[in-house]
Amino acid sequence: MLPLRRVARRVGQYALVLWVAATINFALPYLAPGDPVGYLYAGPTQDLTPAQVAQIRAGYGLDRPILEQYAGFWTGLLHGDLGMSVARNRPVVDLLGQRLPWTLLLVGLGVLGGAVIGLGLGALAAWWRGRRREPILVAGVLAVDSMPGFWIGMILISIFAVQLGWFPSFGATEITAEGVGALGEVLRRLVLPALTVALAVLGSIFLLARGSMLTVLGEPFIRLARAKGLPERRVALHHVLRPALLPVLTNVTVVAGALFSNAVVIETVFAYPGLGRLIYEAVLARDYPLLQGAFLLVTVVVVGLNLLADLAYPLLDPRVRHEVPVAAGAPTGEVPR
Amino acid sequence: MIPFPAHCGFSFPGHPSSGDRSLRPAPVRTSAPPARPVRKPSGRARTTLILLALALLASACGGSPAGTSRGPNHADRLRIAVAQGAGPLNIFAGAPEPLAELVYDKLVAPSPYVAKPQPWLATAVRQVDPSTWEVDLRQWVRWHDGQPFTARDVVFTFQYMKLAPTGRWTHHVTTIPTISSVTATGPDTVRFTCGFACPELGTVTLADLPIIPEHVWSAVPAQQAKTVTALPVGTGPYRLVSYNPSAGYRFEANPAYFAGRPRVRELVMPIIEDPSATFTALVSGEIDIAARPLPPELIEQFRSSSQVSVVKTAPLQFPELRMNFERVPFDQPAFRRAISRALDRDQLLQTVFLGQGRPAVKGYPHPDAPFANPSLSTPYAPQEARQLLDQAGFLDRDGDGIREGPDGPLRFQLFVTASLPIDVRAGQLVAEDLRKIGISVQVTGTDAATVANLFTTREFDLAISTITAHGVADPDQFVMSHLSGYLWRAGLPYPEFDALFSKWKAATTNAGRAAVLQDMQVLLNRQPTSIPLYYPDEYWAYRSAGYDGWVESPGYGIVHKWSLLPADVARAADAVVLRR
Repeated sequence: MLPLRRVARRVGQYALVLWVAATINFALPYLAPGDPVGYLYAGPTQDLTPAQVAQIRAGYGLDRPILEQYAGFWTGLLHGDLGMSVARNRPVVDLLGQRLPWTLLLVGLGVLGGAVIGLGLGALAAWWRGRRREPILVAGVLAVDSMPGFWIGMILISIFAVQLGWFPSFGATEITAEGVGALGEVLRRLVLPALTVALAVLGSIFLLARGSMLTVLGEPFIRLARAKGLPERRVALHHVLRPALLPVLTNVTVVAGALFSNAVVIETVFAYPGLGRLIYEAVLARDYPLLQGAFLLVTVVVVGLNLLADLAYPLLDPRVRHEVPVAAGAPTGEVPR
Repeated sequence: MIPFPAHCGFSFPGHPSSGDRSLRPAPVRTSAPPARPVRKPSGRARTTLILLALALLASACGGSPAGTSRGPNHADRLRIAVAQGAGPLNIFAGAPEPLAELVYDKLVAPSPYVAKPQPWLATAVRQVDPSTWEVDLRQWVRWHDGQPFTARDVVFTFQYMKLAPTGRWTHHVTTIPTISSVTATGPDTVRFTCGFACPELGTVTLADLPIIPEHVWSAVPAQQAKTVTALPVGTGPYRLVSYNPSAGYRFEANPAYFAGRPRVRELVMPIIEDPSATFTALVSGEIDIAARPLPPELIEQFRSSSQVSVVKTAPLQFPELRMNFERVPFDQPAFRRAISRALDRDQLLQTVFLGQGRPAVKGYPHPDAPFANPSLSTPYAPQEARQLLDQAGFLDRDGDGIREGPDGPLRFQLFVTASLPIDVRAGQLVAEDLRKIGISVQVTGTDAATVANLFTTREFDLAISTITAHGVADPDQFVMSHLSGYLWRAGLPYPEFDALFSKWKAATTNAGRAAVLQDMQVLLNRQPTSIPLYYPDEYWAYRSAGYDGWVESPGYGIVHKWSLLPADVARAADAVVLRR
């Protein structure tokens, strides 16, 4: 199978997942007990007159046949219309659009930082296998990993915001800053929350990287590389690191996907205006249109991250690129996970 | 007839009658902390850890007790953390009143929560006959966009409020009172006519509704008022110049404000929803004040800080135990009274709120409300509660400690907001008190939206929530609450109240209305549908080095426009609480 066909197949598979997720999203108000008007109105409907209920029903298009509503749902979706937030009287797309960039920035930079640091420390721990330094490093990383994210955030705030005054303790931007100053302010306010995210995800990436490196270090081709007299640095970077990256990459995408909607605690500690906080507020306010939109967005991002990871495998591992079956009966082109 | 005995209209700074500046009202710094019990409200582990960490931060930054030196009374820029984003201050979409009133003014100020509100956008307010009022408007006032403020704006405002579904002001123009017409009788004169006597219009209604510009809002159909996202245009001391949901609000002082130039040029208001993040920012000096009171656990730590000042206020609000008077046996007055007598308010205050406030032994409304009946008394009397239940036929016939009624054992559910540990703890104490008189209560925590929804759908027995100034200090709202379903519902049989309501409507003077209101309060507290649990105090923390002009205004705390206007202006408007 050509790589292009494989890519198309993967994209097709993920598109199917997205279609199912979007359809479930559409069906949520109908699957829940009671009248969907109650869900979408976000308020008590007992006191409404039949005429008012009919008006709301018509306003949400609930008086149309279900297939027509489904078609309308997709038409709206493709035109970027996710309905109105009932608690905030604003289009859901606008609200998600305001929060999405901040979460992408926070989670993206934090997870990337955590991945780089975790990978580096994991490689170092594997390289130091059997030496006295290894358990110290492992214990140190596990100690950080055992702390809850909000606690790490509080410690960072205490040191770097309160005591040293180097960074702000809250917010994503400054309303009085303009131009380049505004960009600088965004970066300054990103440091502590992104570092918190990085430290929060560090442990799992570190352990996975270390285990993966140890596995690869035991492979015959590493012994061959060393037997050829290649410098240790070259062995480490070119022969060990690349194959060891595969499980780490999978883990990073999973962690990033989970954090995308679950960063609410860190966003709360730093008063960061992200998506997790918005979802939390929507749950409290029973703002179902906003929740539906947010869940759909989270699904798209998580599925997108997995697709990216799938597409990145061939770039990292030639064996995947050339799709050589490793054993009889193994499904052709399947990526080891 | 002038309802303001002192004077109608007053001078502003620069005028000879402005008053003695040396008497600038100021909040009193709290003295040595009162003794308080060691029991603390239970809470989630995370909250506790955060508060603990914050306490350490606060104490780390302190060291010496707060001194008595005062900070500046003017500032170029203040940073005020607000607890939630409320959009671009659309008053029809729930904008917080302290923020909205930076932008908008009312005809009479500061609010219905004071005894003698004074003319503000008005210069004189006259009661022509029991149901007619005339208002003279201030001249040369301009909206923030430069347009002149006229009588047409006032007429438009009251007509628009009737049509717009605000849920906040509509019933104060359509029901209590019933304003039948508003007409401009001249370029600066407006006449109000009510459907029945409205002696309180000058001191309550006109002190409640903000005036909006006709030239802006006439383009918006009233039914769509909630959807407006443009920055507001008002006559107030501050202009909202930018709003960003991620960054907050920025206000600039209105240099041409008719009451005098505000004392702070610029207000920057970041949105920090989490209390611990808010007070961390205060400790680190990133904000000058938090527009939310201190949690009880942090008061001592902040008091000992040398950089942060703490002041105490008496907010016009309280936590309340609501009873579903439409459900058996809460529909029986004696049963509700028994519950009221069974609650140990002093223990609730000491245990739940660490003694910071007053026990709620004066019932409903708040004892500081201008119309409160000072003779009200709701004592802790468990023996009387037992007698009331016995007489009503609720007896423990099977000896299990729980009384039985016609529909079975007295077992009820009490809903509290699970994310509010103080409410959860109060619920537990209420359950303990009621258990002592043979009533079993199960405390159920749920989210705030569900609790609110349960009130409306009437699917609850008991619930704890907090009622704020509009509910407990506005006399018109007190009457309205008996019609709206909160304290009672219009249409449900209640002959005693109906008789008082007729008497209230027939009264043509404020004195006559006040007398009937006092009788209504006696009636309510004799068979309450809402029981205040305690009257809390609030403590506010701010960095006095940046600005020290904060004053308490009844029902508004200390973060409001009266703290930012010239002190003599605020005092002349009767807008501040003077504590000595």
